[in-house]
Amino acid sequence: MLTLALDTATRVCTVGLVQDGHVLAEYDISVGLTHSEGLMPQLDQMFARTGIKKENIDRIAVSIGPGSFTGLRIGLAAAEAMAYAWQCGICGVNTLEAMAYNIPVEGVVLAPVLDAQKGSFYTAFYEWTGGELREVRPVEMADRETLLQQLQHCGKPVLLMGECEKLMKQELPYGISVAPEQVRLPKASSVALAAEGTEPLTGEDVFTLRPYYIRKSEAEELWEKRHPQG
Amino acid sequence: MEQKDIYILGIESSCDETAASVVKNGRDVLSNIISSQISIHRKYGGVVPEIASRKHIEHIMPVIDAALEDAKVTLEQIDGVAVTYGPGLVGALLVGLSAAKALAWATGKPLLGVNHLEGHVFANFINDKSLEPPFLALVVSGGHTALLKVTGYNSFEMLGQTRDDAAGEAFDKIARVMGLPYPGGPEIEKLAMEGNPKAIDFPRAMLDDPFQFSFSGMKSSVINYLHNEEQARRPVNRADVAASFQEAVTDVLVQKSVLAIKATGLKEIVLAGGVSANKTLQYKLAAAAKKAGARLVHPTKILCTDNAVMIACRGYYMYQAGVISPWDLNAVPALKLGYKSRGE
Repeated sequence: MLTLALDTATRVCTVGLVQDGHVLAEYDISVGLTHSEGLMPQLDQMFARTGIKKENIDRIAVSIGPGSFTGLRIGLAAAEAMAYAWQCGICGVNTLEAMAYNIPVEGVVLAPVLDAQKGSFYTAFYEWTGGELREVRPVEMADRETLLQQLQHCGKPVLLMGECEKLMKQELPYGISVAPEQVRLPKASSVALAAEGTEPLTGEDVFTLRPYYIRKSEAEELWEKRHPQG
Repeated sequence: MEQKDIYILGIESSCDETAASVVKNGRDVLSNIISSQISIHRKYGGVVPEIASRKHIEHIMPVIDAALEDAKVTLEQIDGVAVTYGPGLVGALLVGLSAAKALAWATGKPLLGVNHLEGHVFANFINDKSLEPPFLALVVSGGHTALLKVTGYNSFEMLGQTRDDAAGEAFDKIARVMGLPYPGGPEIEKLAMEGNPKAIDFPRAMLDDPFQFSFSGMKSSVINYLHNEEQARRPVNRADVAASFQEAVTDVLVQKSVLAIKATGLKEIVLAGGVSANKTLQYKLAAAAKKAGARLVHPTKILCTDNAVMIACRGYYMYQAGVISPWDLNAVPALKLGYKSRGE
């Protein structure tokens, strides 16, 4: 099975081709280009260089969040349009979970984080055991202090991943370190691998896939605060 | 030799409508699907960009699918994918643009990045099959007020535009001050029908430059009038205010248009943009144009507001001219009129 994967949830624009668990190609760019500018040329070049035909794609794996709202929509709109054009299935993959596939190593707790702005982070904790990824703590939003406290109490060495620059500004507690940069941020190959074994959406169900925002829009939050009765 | 029919898929998501359409040979509308968000934004008193973007991503593919189905055209039969890349709300634009780019790339078809404002002008080709450049265009919307010379299907010359507020912006702002629901333009028009357009003499800025506009002074004058009457506890005839304001705006638009007709000697003028749905503007401009020796063309109501038919129509003429956009085409929220199209 040939999977085309993409992730535009963070500043990295990453696209990849994975066949039956083997990574055929991956192309990551992180130079501050907008995903709107970068995504299609990157896909175009990857297909041109690999010689893989678009019509041979069996499914598309797309990272649906959490992450940058605009980035998620660019990736999802493109993924849905390709699935529609090629009439193939689509798998929406949790961005945090996909990152955990970057480091399939046992004995550590993986803590991918994404900057939720205003001092908050989207995060979830994962651990590899017996070749399977286990969710230690589900996706939630937390501030720095809460997040680090939770990690200190998980009883194992911790690897921070994702957009953890703001967490690294101050010294991290003992036992918590930061994953090396080349595996810290989203990778399309990991998105594809995370999608393996899951059932893709097909036909008109492709249109039901939504970004995993977690947060409501600011206008909605404000309106609800002012109109508690609804 | 019989020419092959050209089918263009148009996609539009610049503000609060998600729209898709298939147009044959630039002028025959095979489908026109519009998913409007007006009711969603009403409680906020205007379009909320993030909410608009969230609705667009939910609707974009079903709307495209419905446009193809309605047109009884398959994706394979489509010759080019036209999409609005500006002006508009950046997050909203990006949804339609991303879907369009991926659709075009995945099927190996040309991408046609369309200027939304040029699209509004091209809506007139749908209504009047005999219309051909050169002609004048008066573009009036919430974001723009401009007089444009359309010299060819792919060449435009800007005669003049607004120095401050757009005409539609003034409509919306005054509607808000008067407590009318969003969108304000049609509400003012409705209220104006019962009022006296000569009741209050709001100032009409004519400026030295014959083709430039200014509406901020007029807008302030209306708002000041409302505040002064309120402070003096005098009852305000709201219908008279709406009618007199509408009269002032349309007076300026019509007079400048007539000057442009006389200066260029062109025999046709088209209306474009959301405010072109205003009946008073249509009647007054038609009469004044006729007197000046020109004919007014304006779109039907459904094509005055945002739609994808006009985008497909504009895209068709880009396709014919070989104006193809690159895959790195980005959304340009402040895209201007009269600039060269990307790809030229």
